[in-house]
Amino acid sequence: MAAIRNTLLLAALLVLLIAVPPFLGLGWQNALVNVLIASLFALAFNLLIGQAGLLSFGHAAYFGIGAFAALHLMIAIEDGFPFPTPLVPLAGAAAGLLIGLIAGYFATMRSGVYFALVTLAIAELFHSLAPRLEAVFGGESGISSMRMPWSDITFGSMLEVYYLTLAWVLICGLGLWAYTRTPFGRLTLALRDNEQRVRFLGYSTHSVKVIVFAVSAMLTGVAGSLQAISNETANYSLFASDVSAQVVLQTFVGGSTVFFGPVIGAAVFTLFSFLVSDLTRSWVLYQGLIFVLVMLYAPSGIGGVLQHHIRNRRQLDWRPLSGLYLLALAGGVLITAGTVFLTETVAVLFGEEYAVARRNAGGSLPAYELFGAHWDPTDIFTWLLPLVLLAGGGAITVSTRRHVTAFWNRGGGSRDTAARPVSLGGAA
Amino acid sequence: MTGTNLDQPALRLAGVKKSFGPIEVIRGLNLDIRAGERHAIIGPNGAGKSTLFNLISGMFAPSAGEISLNAQSIAGLSPHRINRAGLARSFQITNIFHRLSVFENLRIGVLARHGVRYGLFRPVSRMRQVNDETIEVLTRVGLEARSNDPAGDLTYSEQRALEIGMTLTTGAQVILLDEPTAGMSREETAKAMDLIRTVTEGKTLLMVEHDMGVVFGLCDRVSVLVYGNVLATDTPERISANREVQEAYLGQEAS
Ligand SMILES: Nc1ncnc2c1ncn2[C@@H]1O[C@H](COP(=O)(O)OP(=O)(O)OP(=O)(O)O)[C@@H](O)[C@H]1O
Ligand SMILES: [Mg+2]
Repeated sequence: MAAIRNTLLLAALLVLLIAVPPFLGLGWQNALVNVLIASLFALAFNLLIGQAGLLSFGHAAYFGIGAFAALHLMIAIEDGFPFPTPLVPLAGAAAGLLIGLIAGYFATMRSGVYFALVTLAIAELFHSLAPRLEAVFGGESGISSMRMPWSDITFGSMLEVYYLTLAWVLICGLGLWAYTRTPFGRLTLALRDNEQRVRFLGYSTHSVKVIVFAVSAMLTGVAGSLQAISNETANYSLFASDVSAQVVLQTFVGGSTVFFGPVIGAAVFTLFSFLVSDLTRSWVLYQGLIFVLVMLYAPSGIGGVLQHHIRNRRQLDWRPLSGLYLLALAGGVLITAGTVFLTETVAVLFGEEYAVARRNAGGSLPAYELFGAHWDPTDIFTWLLPLVLLAGGGAITVSTRRHVTAFWNRGGGSRDTAARPVSLGGAA
Repeated sequence: MTGTNLDQPALRLAGVKKSFGPIEVIRGLNLDIRAGERHAIIGPNGAGKSTLFNLISGMFAPSAGEISLNAQSIAGLSPHRINRAGLARSFQITNIFHRLSVFENLRIGVLARHGVRYGLFRPVSRMRQVNDETIEVLTRVGLEARSNDPAGDLTYSEQRALEIGMTLTTGAQVILLDEPTAGMSREETAKAMDLIRTVTEGKTLLMVEHDMGVVFGLCDRVSVLVYGNVLATDTPERISANREVQEAYLGQEAS
């Protein structure tokens, strides 16, 4: 039953992913390409943290390696090397696998914090070396290439790039899914639970970890090469620590304990930056806030929360619950409004433009414009408004939260999802 | 059974020492475990029993001395190599995969025995032989009804049974059990004894056990470990009659 429902859901999603993009504008097509790439990146990353229990802080290394490998192959194709453009991501896979084997060999000698630090150091190594290695990474400006046509496909339009990306992401996603059902996939989960016992059952855990790491790096390399195909260029900034951090944030916000969780996180963050980054320069701050809030109040991530509700949907009393959730939503909207107002006000008041306006106004505090209205910083109302929004939203949220907690404790649902093994991987 | 050379012990320890920093916990220990026997290790708390198991199973390398399994040296090898050489152990403190199902806990070891350690190209659900053998072990340890539950949800004594089951899965001929019945009620202990007896049929068993009832009921020989050395090795009857042992251990426990 559940299997059929999941298959139907996935099929519907697939139809949407195939049928809708032709009707979208270039910007949205491009955004979707980025969502797909980020999804694959996060899924590959989550193979380590979600399944093997290894937190890598340096996955930018394999993403970047994949991108550069793809570009070198594309340059070779431009120069006449007969290689089908749609298969370019194979270069990223091979490079990711190779570098992943080497880096993984060293990183997985340690676990926990030390593992994380070694991965971080390896990525930093690439980040500092790349600008100096002109031949491989093209110095500071990086390297560029053109997508060459293959057969009847020119790869000139964003839509063609989208379909190519979609195909690769689907294949890799399915591969990862299949991975969870193989003996090695089950072993990976055992490793996360209790590495010591795995060792006493006759497995070399170091070898196991190296292989998991390499598989993760390989698929990360594919994601990187898809980005290279889409952008037709790459430079050393791909190795930067914020690329590594981004995938960590996305995975945890989406939910690392659920197979599709990272996809949710990748989609949310990528679309958020697409929609919001033009509106405000504070969007990175908002992203950070979202992360902190999710970690504090829903540590199993969006995917974990969804899964918890889906699991318990039959025994749940939805009527009171949805009422509570609507209230919580209202509280959340008020808090968001208050936070955004304050943040943007601060951004304006401490901005350069306002400094100029102040000088022109002879040092006094002139009114400023925000959300299509004028606000006077000396007027108490200007400050009262966000504070009232925050206080009201806070009060609603806190009391709703208490009710929601009581609701679940009353047996609204059974067990906690966070403690479960990767759900959709399923115990065979 | 492997090489029925009766003179050759299944497990031999000669002059084994282990120090943690300045403290010598195992002090030149000699011990022979005969192939096919059930052998108990008794001794007061902190005598070094678990440390001895850790040395044999590869958790630690001995500071000095020789350990051999079927005349093959295993001292200082890593745990997975020792396991592949035919020795499996359980742990005093339950050491299972809490978030995996009971079935999967057992299947990991069965997979290792079948040599599909890095199987990446076939779903495990289609490995008929592996799954059948897992069910067999599951039934032997009496956990069929709990097959799909996360191991972390099991009761204490069920987890102990799982612990024993996992030790069996890799097919080792030499089995080390560290206090398998500790913390169990009388009934549970009796059940565990039966279980251990049947599952170690035809194998070599070395077990740490505090309960003299279990030792008498199960074991052919007993070694008394005191301060990192074997004080005496003999049949359970003669050990309990041994004055020196009574003073060093049994008497101490009675007082
Ligand atoms: N990893 C270690 N590092 C330092 N000291 C240790 C270590 N493991 C054991 N010891 C010490 O070695 C001594 C023997 O411990 P061990 O666990 O082997 O005793 P035991 O005979 O199994 O006792 P029990 O009956 O309580 O299980 C103890 O004093 C213990 O503190
Ligand atoms: Mg002990």
